[in-house]
Amino acid sequence: MASRIKLILVVAILSLIGGGIAAYKHVELGLPLRVGDLPEQWLVEAKITFIADGGKVNARLSLPAAAIDEGLGKDAGSVGYNYYVDKDLGEYTAVWTSEKKEKDENQAIYYRVSFPRRQKSGGEPIPNAGGGKPEAVTPGFAGAMEDAAKKVVERAKSVSADPDSLFVGLFGEIAAIETSQEVGLLRARYEDESGRSALTVLGIDLLNMAGVPARVAYGVRLEEARGSQQPIRLVEYYDGATWKVRDPDEPSSTIDPTKMFVWNRGGGSLFEVTGGEASQLVFTVIRDLIPLKDLTDLRDSPLLISTIFGLPASEQAVFRFVVLIPLGAFVVVVMRNLIGIATLGTFMPVLLALALLEMPVDSGLIMFSVIVAAGLWFRFLLSKLNMLVVPRVAACVVIVTLLMMLLSVISYKLGMRSGLQITLFPMIILAWTIERMSLIWEEEGKRSALLQVGGSLVVAVIAYRFMAVRQVKYLAFYFPELLLVLLAFIILLGRYTGYRLSELFRFRDFKEV
Amino acid sequence: MQDLKKQDASAGKLASGPKPPVEPTTPPPVAPTKRWWHRWIRTPRELREMGVVGINMRNARFLLPNNPRRLYELVDNKLRTKQIAAEHQLAIPETYAVVRSPHETSRIDRLIEGRESFVIKPARGSGGKGVLVIMSREGDDFIKPSGARLSLDEVRHHCSNILAGLFSLGGRRDFALIEHRVQPARALTEISFQGAPDIRVVMFHGYPVMAMLRASTRESDGRSNLHQGAIGVGIDLATGRTIRAVHHGHPIERHPDLKVPVVGVQLPHWDAILDIAVTCHEMTGLGYLGVDLMIDEEAGPLMIEVNARPGLAIQLANGVGLLRRLEPVLARHESHPHDTKAQKIAFSQRSFAAAGVNAKPA
Repeated sequence: MASRIKLILVVAILSLIGGGIAAYKHVELGLPLRVGDLPEQWLVEAKITFIADGGKVNARLSLPAAAIDEGLGKDAGSVGYNYYVDKDLGEYTAVWTSEKKEKDENQAIYYRVSFPRRQKSGGEPIPNAGGGKPEAVTPGFAGAMEDAAKKVVERAKSVSADPDSLFVGLFGEIAAIETSQEVGLLRARYEDESGRSALTVLGIDLLNMAGVPARVAYGVRLEEARGSQQPIRLVEYYDGATWKVRDPDEPSSTIDPTKMFVWNRGGGSLFEVTGGEASQLVFTVIRDLIPLKDLTDLRDSPLLISTIFGLPASEQAVFRFVVLIPLGAFVVVVMRNLIGIATLGTFMPVLLALALLEMPVDSGLIMFSVIVAAGLWFRFLLSKLNMLVVPRVAACVVIVTLLMMLLSVISYKLGMRSGLQITLFPMIILAWTIERMSLIWEEEGKRSALLQVGGSLVVAVIAYRFMAVRQVKYLAFYFPELLLVLLAFIILLGRYTGYRLSELFRFRDFKEV
Repeated sequence: MQDLKKQDASAGKLASGPKPPVEPTTPPPVAPTKRWWHRWIRTPRELREMGVVGINMRNARFLLPNNPRRLYELVDNKLRTKQIAAEHQLAIPETYAVVRSPHETSRIDRLIEGRESFVIKPARGSGGKGVLVIMSREGDDFIKPSGARLSLDEVRHHCSNILAGLFSLGGRRDFALIEHRVQPARALTEISFQGAPDIRVVMFHGYPVMAMLRASTRESDGRSNLHQGAIGVGIDLATGRTIRAVHHGHPIERHPDLKVPVVGVQLPHWDAILDIAVTCHEMTGLGYLGVDLMIDEEAGPLMIEVNARPGLAIQLANGVGLLRRLEPVLARHESHPHDTKAQKIAFSQRSFAAAGVNAKPA
C-alpha cells in the first residue's frame, strides 16, 4: 500500500509542476494553448562565429532593410558586446564592438528576425539609392575570354527586348547542361576561381558587360531544415528604373516571398569581422508558431519557464525533434502494454518514426521495406559462409550502405526525388533490424519475424502520425513542461495490470474445465 | 524465534489435517454462454471471471514483487543454475565440458571425444534458443534428431556463435555448455513427434501452481514452443496424469501427427518431479518461477532450466486461469509462512487436483 501512496504522490507532484508551469505561461504570458490562434511566424537567425585574435573586435552584419522599415520583430543577442545599428543610404548594418576578447576564444553573435507569412520577400524593385542612374561596371575580361563573353552577350541581346528578358536569356544559357563552346570556356574559368557560386558571378559579369548594372544580393531559403544553411547568392540588377532581385536558379520568375527572404541587397558585403579569424555566417530558419515578442517574454522569464527558448535558434532547431522523442516513447508504451503489439526491440519504432518525420511517409516505408528485404536476402547468403557474429553485422552494414546508394541512384534516374531521402534512415537501425530479423527468422520462424517487423512498422507509423500532429508539436515545443504530465501518465501506465488487447484475442478460446 | 517457527509449522500441520473448511474453495466455473464476439475475443470481464492472468498482471503482481533483480543471474546463467543445483543434490544432466574461449572451440573435437550423443547449449540462452542436439555420430558426421547431418566444422561454428553471444539475452558474451542428452522416457517419446517433450511446473512461493507438458509436432519441427505448433498438455498436479491438451489453442484428444491419445497419460516419477520443482524455488529464492524438466529413461526426472519469467500459455493447456491458483497460494503463504516442502506439495496436490480425475473413482 505504501508504494501505492508514493506512486500517487509522485504522479500528483509531476502533474502539478507540469500543469502549473503551463498554466502560468498561458495565463500570465498569454501563450495560447491551441495552435492556429496565431499566424505562422518565420524566425530567421543569422549567426556569426569566429575565433578572437585577442584584441579589439568589430563585427558588422548587413541587415535586411525590411526588418527595420516594416518593423518586423527583431533582436540581437550576444554577451559582452556593444551593439548599435548603423544607417547609411537606406542600408542598415548591425555593428558589434568589444574592447578585448580572450585570444583563441570562440565567439558567436546572433541576430534574429521574425515575421509572419508575408507578401514581400524584400527583393521588390526599388529605385537607386541616392537617386540618379547606376553605371555598369566593366568586368576585366581579356583575350579569348573577352571574345567568348562578347559572343554570348550578343547572342542573348539579339533575342531580348529589355534587361528582364536579357537576364532570363543569359542565365538560361549559362545554366544549361548542353551549352555552347564559349559558355563552356567561361564556366571552366569561373569555376576555378569562385567554386559553387561560379555561375552567379559569371552571370553578373556578363550582365554588366551588356550594360546592365548588376551585383550580388543574399537571401535565406524559407524552409525548415534541421541544420543551418549558407546564405544563398542572388542577383540584383538595374532595369533602367529600379533595382530588381532574382534567383539565378529560377531566372524567369521573381522571388517567391513564401520561399525566400532577401537578407542583403545593394552589393555590400554581407558581414565583416575584424579582430577575429575563421569567421563564418550561417542562417537557421525555423517556423515559429508565436510572435517574436511573446518569445522574447518567454526568453526573459525565469530559468524554469524559459527552458529551451533561452537557446539560440540553431540549438532550438534540434530540440524541436528532441521533444518529440518522449511522445514516440509514450506511443510505444501504449502500443506494447495496452494493445500488445510485438515490436523489434523497445525503441526501434521511435527512431524509425523520427526518420519518417523527415521524408514522405509512403516512400519512406517502401524504401525501408525494400532495404530490409534485400538486406535479409543477402544476410541469408552470408549465413551460408559460417561467419562469426561481429564480422557478419559489419558485412550487413556494408550491404545496407551499398543498397542505399543503389536505391538513391535508381530512384533519381526514375525521377523520384524522395528516394534521395533514404540516407536519413539511421544506418545502424537498418543493419540491426536486418540482423535481428534474420535471427528471429531462424529461431522462431518467419511468422514471428514478419509479425515483429510488421508490428514495429505499424507502431512507427502511429508514432509518426502522432508526432506529426501540429497541435502535438506545438504543445511539446512551447510547453515542454507538459512532458512532466506525460511522465506521470507513463508512470501510471507502468502500473497497469489489466489485459492487453492482444490477450483478449489470444485467450478467445479459453474455456474453464 | 526457533520456537515460533515450530509452532507455526505445527499449526500448519494441524490446519492441513482434518479441517477442510480452511481450504479455499474454487468457485464453480461460470457456465459459458456462447456470445457472438467469442469468435474473435473475450471481454476483459470474462477473462477476469475465469481468473486468466495477462502479461501486465504477471509482471506487476507476481514477478516484480517476488523476483528481485539480483536473483535473475542465478537462473539466466545455466552454469550458475547447475552449480547451485549440484549443491542441493538436484538431479541434472551431466556436464561434459564448458567452452569458454575461442581457443577451446578449436579443440572441441577432443572435448566431445567418445560421446555418442550430447547437447550443446548457450549458458545464457532462453526459450531453447541455440540448443543443438546431437543424437548420434556416423563416421565424421553428427546426426541431429531430424536426421540432418553436421560436420565437425559446423558444430564448431555453432559453438563460436554461442560464444559471440548470438543467443544470449542482450547479446552478451557467453559460454557454451556441452552436456548429456536426455533419453526421454518411453511414456513421453510415444506422444511426441521427434524432439524430447519437456515438463514445465509453475511455482509460486514454493507451491506448485500449474504444470504442463510440451510435446513437439511435425509442424513445430522438434521445438516445443506452443505458438510454433507444439502441443501443450495440461497435467493434474495431484496425480501427474495428463488431463487436457491444446494445439493452437484448440482442445485435442490425440496427437495431430502420431494419432495416439495424449490425454489420460500417466507421467512417471510425478512425486519426484514436484520435489525437484520445490527445491528449485528453495535454491534460487525466486518467488515466482517456472521449472523445466525432462524425464530420462534411466536417470529419471532431470532439471533442465529455471525460468524467472514463465509464460502464460500454461493456462490454455490446463483450461484454468492462473489466478484461480495463485490467489489461494498467496492466502496460504500468508497464513502458513513456514510450510515445509512436503506440506507445500500436499497443499497443492489437495487444492488443485483436477476435478474430473477426482470425481472418477480410480
